[in-house]
Amino acid sequence: MSSENIEIDEFHEGKREEIAKQVDPFFKGGPIWKRPFFGVFIIWSFMTLIGVLIGLFVPVHVLNGSSSSQQDSVKLTIVVFTVIAAPVSAVVYGIAAYSLFKWNKRGSGKSDTPPEDGVALRGHGPATVIWLSISVVLVVILLFWGMMVLSSEQTQQGDAIRMQVVGQQWVWTFQYGSTKITSTQLVLPVDRQVVFEVSSKDVTHGFWPVQLGVQVDANPGFSTTIAASPNKLGKFDVRCSQLCGLEHAYMQTTGRVVTEKQFEHWLAQKGASPKAIKHFTTDAK
Amino acid sequence: MTSTEVYLENTVLGPKAGGLYRHQNFGTGLISGIVFGFIGWLIGQELLQGSNWGSDMTVTVTCVGWVIGFLLGMGAFNAVGRWILGRDEDHEDQLYGAGVGQGWKRYFKFCTDHKVVGIQYLVLVMTLFGAGGAMAMMIRTQLLSPHMNLLSPQSYNALVSIHGMVMIIATIIMVSGPFANFIMPIMIGAKDMAFPRLNALSFWVVVAAVPPILGSFFVGGVDSGWTTYAPLSVQSFPGQDMFAVTICTFVISVTVAGINTLVTVITMRAKGMTMGRLPIFVWGSIIAGGLGLYAMPAFLMAQSALITDRVVGTSMYAPAQGGAGWLYENCFWIMGHPEVYVILLPAAGALVEIASTFARKPVFSYKAMVGAMMAIAGLGIMVWAHHMFTTGWAPTLANPFMLTTELISIPTGVLFLCLVGTIWRGNIWARLPMYFLYLFLWNFIIGGVTGIYLSDVPADQYFHGNMFVTAHFHFTLLGGAMVGAAGAVCYWFPKVSGRMLNERVGKWAFWLIAIGIQVTYYGQFLEGFQGMPRRVVNYNPLFQPANIMSSVGAYTLMTGWLILLYAIVHSWRNGVKAGPNPWHAKSLEWQTETPVPLENFLVDPVVTRDPYGYGEEATDTSQLTPEPVGAGSVSLGNEEGVL
Repeated sequence: MSSENIEIDEFHEGKREEIAKQVDPFFKGGPIWKRPFFGVFIIWSFMTLIGVLIGLFVPVHVLNGSSSSQQDSVKLTIVVFTVIAAPVSAVVYGIAAYSLFKWNKRGSGKSDTPPEDGVALRGHGPATVIWLSISVVLVVILLFWGMMVLSSEQTQQGDAIRMQVVGQQWVWTFQYGSTKITSTQLVLPVDRQVVFEVSSKDVTHGFWPVQLGVQVDANPGFSTTIAASPNKLGKFDVRCSQLCGLEHAYMQTTGRVVTEKQFEHWLAQKGASPKAIKHFTTDAK
Repeated sequence: MTSTEVYLENTVLGPKAGGLYRHQNFGTGLISGIVFGFIGWLIGQELLQGSNWGSDMTVTVTCVGWVIGFLLGMGAFNAVGRWILGRDEDHEDQLYGAGVGQGWKRYFKFCTDHKVVGIQYLVLVMTLFGAGGAMAMMIRTQLLSPHMNLLSPQSYNALVSIHGMVMIIATIIMVSGPFANFIMPIMIGAKDMAFPRLNALSFWVVVAAVPPILGSFFVGGVDSGWTTYAPLSVQSFPGQDMFAVTICTFVISVTVAGINTLVTVITMRAKGMTMGRLPIFVWGSIIAGGLGLYAMPAFLMAQSALITDRVVGTSMYAPAQGGAGWLYENCFWIMGHPEVYVILLPAAGALVEIASTFARKPVFSYKAMVGAMMAIAGLGIMVWAHHMFTTGWAPTLANPFMLTTELISIPTGVLFLCLVGTIWRGNIWARLPMYFLYLFLWNFIIGGVTGIYLSDVPADQYFHGNMFVTAHFHFTLLGGAMVGAAGAVCYWFPKVSGRMLNERVGKWAFWLIAIGIQVTYYGQFLEGFQGMPRRVVNYNPLFQPANIMSSVGAYTLMTGWLILLYAIVHSWRNGVKAGPNPWHAKSLEWQTETPVPLENFLVDPVVTRDPYGYGEEATDTSQLTPEPVGAGSVSLGNEEGVL
C-alpha cells in the first residue's frame, strides 16, 4: 500500500519525467506474495478452479439425458468450452476484484470528495498484444472444434435411413419413407444414422428431438434435413422449438430408440409388408 | 452580439397571442391523433372495404391515421409547413420552440432543446420498462407451476411477444435517448443537436409508436413472439398489424436520431475537440447511431412487406405463391443482431466514463477501445445468420457464420481489457455508478461465455429455441446493457436533475438487482439445460424447480428496479442540491453550470486535451476548464425539481 502512495505523491510533485525514466516502483522489490500480480494470481486461480469445476460437473448433471452421439458431443462441447473459458474470464474477475480489495479505501463510497488521482496509465502495449493473441488462439480453437464436430456429426452415411417429419398445428407426423407407414410417435433403430427430411403443412415449426441433440425448423414449402445417430435404447422427447401459435406448448410427443429387430417388428405391426420393410431398412446400404 | 447575449436579454418570453404553434401540446396531439385515427378507421372501413371493424385493412389505416394525427397535433410539422408557405421561423418562435420560459409545460411540447428531449426520453424509457416489466411478472407468475391457468395460451403468447418488443424498443433508446441527447452535445461542447427539430421529432415519433403495440392486446394480440416469424405472423390476429405499424414508426425515429447524432458529432464539436479527444461515450453513441442506420431499415422492409402480405395479399412470405419465410427471417436478423450492439455500445461507452471517473485514472488504451467498438459494429453486421443455424437455410454457411460470430469475442475482449485496465491501479471511489460497473463486468462475462456455446453450431442445435437462449440474451441485454444504463443514470443524475441521487436507497436497489439477475437467469439456464422450449404456457413438471427459482428471482429483480425508481423520483424532488461537478470529473458536461443553461455554455469552450487527464499535470489549466458559466443565467424553470 505504502509504495503506491509514495509513487502517486511523486506524480503530484511533478516528477513525471523522472519517474518515466525509472523502472516503475510498482513492479520492484518486496517478497513475491506482496506484489499485486500475486494477489491477482490468487483470485484468478480461485475463479478458474470454480469455473472448471462448474464446467466439469454442472452441465453433465443438469443436461437432459443423451440418446445419440450428437447429444454426447453437445455435452462434451459444453464441458470443453467452459473449461477453456474459465481461465480467460477469471483474468477479468481477478483484476477487477483485486483492484477493489486493494485500492478501495474504506468508506470511499460515503465520501463526497474523490480519492487522489490514480496512476496516469494510458495503455500498455505488451498487455494489449498478449490479450489479443490469447483471444485469437481461443477463437481458432473454438472454431475448429465446432467445425470438426459439425462435420463428423452431420456427414450423412451411406446406410442412413431416411424418413420424413411433417409438422402442422399442433402435431408431429412421422413417415417411414417407402413403407408408407405414418405414426405420431417417433420410433428409431439404435446404432443407425437417421436422416430426417423435415417440412411443415402450415407455419414454421421447430423439430427438436430433445435427447438426440439436433434441431431443424420445419418450413412450409421447403424440406430441410438433419441427421441423428441414436446410440442408446430408451425413450426421448420430441418438442416444438419455434413458436407456432396457440397450442405451441403442447406440440410434443415422445419417441423411442429400439433395437433393429424391434424396429422391424414395429413396422410390421403397423402394417408394412416385409418387402417394404426390407427395402426401407437395408436398401440404403 | 452573440446568440447567448440575445437570449440573456430575452429572459422572459411568454407565449405570444395567435399562431397555432403556441397552442399545441401533448393534449392536442392526443385529440388530433384520435380524430385522425377515427378518420383512418372510416377510410379503412368504407373506402378500402375492410370488411369489418377489426379487419387488417381497417386496423392498419386506423393506426397510421393515429400516428400522423398525433404528430400533426403535437406541432411536429409546423416549421416544415411554414417553409412550404414561404416563411421561416423567426427568432422568437425558435426560442419558444426551445421551451424558454415555459416551466414544466415544455416537457409536454414539441420542444427542441436537447436537454428537454433527453429528460422526455428518460421518462418514456422508464414507462416502457414499467410496462414491459409488468408483463414479465405476469409471464413469470404463469410459469410458477406446470399447469397454471392464470393466462390463456392466447394471452400468454401476446404477453411474451409484446413484452419482448416493448423491452427491445426501450433498450434501444435507454442510453441513446436520454444521454446521447442530454449529455452528448454538452460533452462535445455543442450548443444543441445539429437538427433540434428532428431531435424532438425522433422522440415524439416513439411516443406515437407506443400506443399501437400496447393496443394490440385489444384486437387479439400478437402470437408469434417478438420475432414475428412469417408465415405464422401473416395468419395472425389484427394485433399483428398494430405491431407492424409500431415497428415502422419506431424505425423512423431510430433513423432520424441516428443521423442527428452523427451529424452533431461530425459538425458541432467545440474548438479543439478533435475526434481523438472525443469521450468514449460519444464514440459509443455515434458508432451505435451509424449501426442503427444500417440495421433498422431491414426491419422496416421486413415489417412493411408483412403488412402488404396481410393487408393487400402480396406473397412475400407465402411459400405457395413463391415467397419464403426465410426472407423474413433474414431481414429480421439483419436488423436483429446489429441492434444488440446498438443497445450495448452506448451503455459500454457510459461505463468507460464511469470507470475513468471513479477509478481516477485515464482510459486504458483509448485507441484500442475505439477500434474495438468499430470492430464490434463492423463484425456485428456479418453475423446475423447465427440466429438461423437451425432454420435449415443455407447449411453451407454454418461455418462462415460460426467464424464471424466467434471473431466478435476478440473486440469484446478488448472492451473488457480497457475497462479492467482503467480500474487497475486506480484509487477506487466506490459510489453507486461504480457498483453498476462491477455488476456489468460480472454479468457480461457470463453472457459472453454462454454466447460462445450458442455460436457453436452443434451445441446450438440443442440450445436454440430453448430457455438457455432466453437466459443468455437477458444476461447480455439486462445484465449487461441495462445495468450499464442504470450506471449511466446514477452517474449523470446530478447533471440532469441538479440533485444528488440517494445512494443509500440506491445501494439497496443495486443488491436486489444484482442478486435478482443471478437467480432469475441461472434458473433459466437450468431450464435450458433440461430442455424446456421458449414461449410455452405450460410445461413438463420436470422443469418446475428451475422455473420457481427463476420466478422468485424475477420478483426480486422487479423489487430492485422499483426501489431504484423510487430513489430516482424521490431524489429528483427532494435530493441534496448538486454542484456543477460533484464527481470532480474532467469532461465538458461537468464544467458547465447545473442546471445547464440554454445552449449549454455561456462562454464557448476551447478544448486542449482529452477529458481523461487524471494523475497528469494539466498542460494549460486555464484552457482546459472554460470560464465558469455565469450564475443567474437564463431562467429555464427547472431550478426546482419538475418531475
